Amino acid sequence: MNKNSKRVLGVVAAASLVLGVAATNAQAAKTITLVYQGPMTGPDGQTGTDEYYGVLTAIQIYKDSNPAVKVNIKSADDQGESANAGQIAPGIASDKSVVGIIGPAFSGPSVASFPSYKPAGIPMISPSATNPSLTDPKSPKNGFPFFHRVLATDVLQSDKLVTLATRGVASPKIYVVDDMSGYGNKTDGLGALVDAVIAKRKLTVVGSSSIAKGTMAQSTGAAGTIISKGANIVIYSGYYSDAGALIKALRDAGYKGVFASGDGTLSGDFIPAAGKAAAEDARITAPSLPFELAATPAQLAAFTKATGLKSPVGHTYLTEAFNATNIFLDCIKQGKTSRAGIQACISTGTFTGAAGTKISFTRYGEMPGGAPVGDFTIKNGAIVYNGAVK
Amino acid sequence: MAILKNFNLRDKGAEIWEGWNRSKRTTFVFAVVGVVILLPFAGDFSITSFLNTPTASYQAVLVYPVGMYILMALGLNIVVGKSGLLDLGYVAFFAIGAYSAAILGTRTNLNIWEILPIGMGLAMLSGVLLGLPTLRLRGDYLAIVTLGFGEIVRISAINVQSTGGPNGIGGVPNPPAVLGMKFDINNLKGFFWIVVVMILLVIWMIRRFTSRRPGRAWEAIRQDEDVAMLMGVPVLRYKIWSFSIGAAVGGAAGVIFASKSMFVAPDMFTFNVSVLILSCVVFGGMGNIWGVILGATILAYLPERIRFISTARQLVFGLALVIIMNVRPDGLLPRKKREKITAKGATK
Amino acid sequence: MNFSAVTGQFWSLLLAGVAIGFIYVLISLGYTMVYGVLRLINFANSEIFMVGTFASIIVSRTFFGYGDSSDTIHGFKLYYTLAACLVAAMLMSGVTAVLVELVAYRRLRAKGTNRLASLISAIGTSIVLSEGARILTQSRPLASPRLLNKFFVFNIGTVGFRIDIIIVIVFAAALFFAVDRFVNKTLLGKAIRAVSMSEDTSRLMGINLNRVISATFFIGGLMTGAAAFLYDLVFENTRFNIGFNLGLAAFTAAVLGGIGNLRGAFFGGITLGIIEVFAAAIFGAQWQAVTVFVVLVLVLLFKPNGLFGEAIQQSRV
Repeated sequence: MNKNSKRVLGVVAAASLVLGVAATNAQAAKTITLVYQGPMTGPDGQTGTDEYYGVLTAIQIYKDSNPAVKVNIKSADDQGESANAGQIAPGIASDKSVVGIIGPAFSGPSVASFPSYKPAGIPMISPSATNPSLTDPKSPKNGFPFFHRVLATDVLQSDKLVTLATRGVASPKIYVVDDMSGYGNKTDGLGALVDAVIAKRKLTVVGSSSIAKGTMAQSTGAAGTIISKGANIVIYSGYYSDAGALIKALRDAGYKGVFASGDGTLSGDFIPAAGKAAAEDARITAPSLPFELAATPAQLAAFTKATGLKSPVGHTYLTEAFNATNIFLDCIKQGKTSRAGIQACISTGTFTGAAGTKISFTRYGEMPGGAPVGDFTIKNGAIVYNGAVK
Repeated sequence: MAILKNFNLRDKGAEIWEGWNRSKRTTFVFAVVGVVILLPFAGDFSITSFLNTPTASYQAVLVYPVGMYILMALGLNIVVGKSGLLDLGYVAFFAIGAYSAAILGTRTNLNIWEILPIGMGLAMLSGVLLGLPTLRLRGDYLAIVTLGFGEIVRISAINVQSTGGPNGIGGVPNPPAVLGMKFDINNLKGFFWIVVVMILLVIWMIRRFTSRRPGRAWEAIRQDEDVAMLMGVPVLRYKIWSFSIGAAVGGAAGVIFASKSMFVAPDMFTFNVSVLILSCVVFGGMGNIWGVILGATILAYLPERIRFISTARQLVFGLALVIIMNVRPDGLLPRKKREKITAKGATK
Repeated sequence: MNFSAVTGQFWSLLLAGVAIGFIYVLISLGYTMVYGVLRLINFANSEIFMVGTFASIIVSRTFFGYGDSSDTIHGFKLYYTLAACLVAAMLMSGVTAVLVELVAYRRLRAKGTNRLASLISAIGTSIVLSEGARILTQSRPLASPRLLNKFFVFNIGTVGFRIDIIIVIVFAAALFFAVDRFVNKTLLGKAIRAVSMSEDTSRLMGINLNRVISATFFIGGLMTGAAAFLYDLVFENTRFNIGFNLGLAAFTAAVLGGIGNLRGAFFGGITLGIIEVFAAAIFGAQWQAVTVFVVLVLVLLFKPNGLFGEAIQQSRV
């Protein structure tokens, strides 16, 4: 190819880019839009993809009921990062057709998005952001009054996590590991809350480590340190892929005790990351209900129709995303089609979740009395749900 | 073909510029600035609406990344382009500015305009402190040390209580209104205009420097440090000057960024940002203000513009970098030919 | 700070540090050899490593059909499976490295332009590789099946020597010495050294520059690929962004030892591995990266060319 033809190609490519997008801009007609905001790509892309299945399932059921109002669904990819969320949120807020946001999925991006959504008055219902500060009226990071969530916060979860971890252990010696992420850290994340619960119950802590998310596999010394401290309970506050690396390293080094972890670990990818043998008997809490247990046969059929997948097993937060979407759709069915109308409907109404549970919200967007926290264990290479942690 | 190959838009531009008299020049500058000032409205007109970005708000994109990247790329250009110091941790200064704004803005009564000089000063100070021991190092060693500094700032922000840990600091105040112009999330135009003013100031500063003693000293250092030293240029002092002026510009960008997004978190200040800013400088044309501005505009705007191809957009960005660097290794608008050291000698 | 952890388990920490150090040594060879001949940081080397980790795991999973729940294997089958994974990782990384040189460096080198253009072009290649992997794997991590039954071969005091750790140390050391001999004794090795001393002179002496540079990238890639295989053997997991942290560490190791110097890379890698593990034990894992960089700065302040560096020609940007 000579220089001139390269240049021509470049111009053609640029022109088609411009035209292509001009076309997408033009189609913004008057419709009601719901936006799912979460990580569709990036290291946590799986979480967003799973949740989006739940959104699509709810929309499928809605569409099949031949509704009067057409609802358009869009996904906004924040990659699970605050920086990205801060970029896309002003754009979503300025799109007048958007009446509600299912999400943001993660806590950090939620805080980054609030400055755009709060002035615009867009109601949000998050299926998976668990950081307590989001609904704390005293925190500068709260999303009052537009932020709601359909799951328990980490305050409740940390309590249940410690309960589950210490269950059946005669003299607990606990070692806490956190991942320094927005979710698991020891400043204001799950790790800090777990520490607080342990201190309140006067349990013995033999040590703690902070190992940055994504670097567990290389932290060769971690397992040896934990064992040398004589720990018989390891509580990990972080996500599945590092949790898998940690439990694998621990079992390889001869650790026989309990391994317990929070909802960040509840993912179908935890077991391959740990290896089937090492993952066995890991205890996991999550303020989430598996969709295959929660859903009716009709809802499961809609899931298959919407996503093309046979079974929702192993996909996380489907139920919560499904519930969040349904709350919006219920309000739309009641004839609310504006941001303000839907916001009023959400904050005053009572809704029915997939499992038949009643959902309503407090003034600050929390479910009153807290949502249940589930107890999961790994048995024979599969995640088993044992009901709510008592 | 040969004409095309040797065509240098920058030289051509300089030629035209030099042919103009003062009034022509002034008119031109005002025209360009006027067009830039009107940019935030371009998204609303049907003719120019192709500039609109999908998903992200067009006016938000103009402030960050476009405006901010231009500002930071100009700052980094002083370090890399003018004095030839390879800095891979420029994001550190951006982070220091942003965290100054977040901490002072939420815990004291200072407003953003008062914090701005403090943030710049802190960034400058850290530039001097980092520069004193490390600027004696050469080439790639300096690169890795600056890279390390960038990571240290980010990791410290994660681990230290007063910076809010991994979840950062929320509720950073917007700047108070100036001359009736408000700055908040619904008035992003204001932020853009402030950034434009800052960019103009930096351009003015760089042009002053270039034609005076520091500019000549930097040029000498960039071309041959040993010779410069032999000729009596106080090399270390000018290197530290270049480093800390660059840092101050990064700090200023950080303060405005924090106040615009009202929120800072460590994941906004990753190594990727340093790489992107450096790419802006090299992509556009190292050492040349107009090239750097063009490079930053394209590299900041392109990924936002092609957000609709969501999954592949970073891939396309990477491809664009490789292709452009191979076709135009000196950047889109390289510096004046006569300023360049001989091509062969530069490979080593 | 926690010094008791260090006194209590000094030797087991040391072993862990040396093991990770040997993996760094092999990766840093990729950086240091390329730096030697081109005076350029090969930014894409971390992605060359990433490609290797995927190659090794894909061979064991797809070609041999081992899954997550497979049992460990023994005897002859184990040997040829491991050998196949190793060869796949080395070849894939080696070929990728050669391609990176062709795409990112060759044209620019022929033009004789500034070093930063090559740097950006390498960064672009690196983005393309890691984003390509991200799209193909949908950001999911890929776990390696456990091929090798990991047992403790012997204990010295309280320190257990696990089989995979022993394999890493022995194999990496052997590879390093092979490369060292190759560079110092063979004709091609001499050509590589000649190019690294003076490109122009070696061309005048009739050395085919392109061939030598390709060979250097290939050998660097082979070593990085071997490191990828060993990494999979020990840590049994990879994902598209695995290269970033490891690449950064290996690059630091190369600089620590004096970039461009093979034996420097050896000592730099092991020193860095040990420092990292001890820093994590003493200051907490969250400060590990910070400690590493602080040590690096200190070393460079007192030994500006690295611990074992040759005085480097002034490198212009």
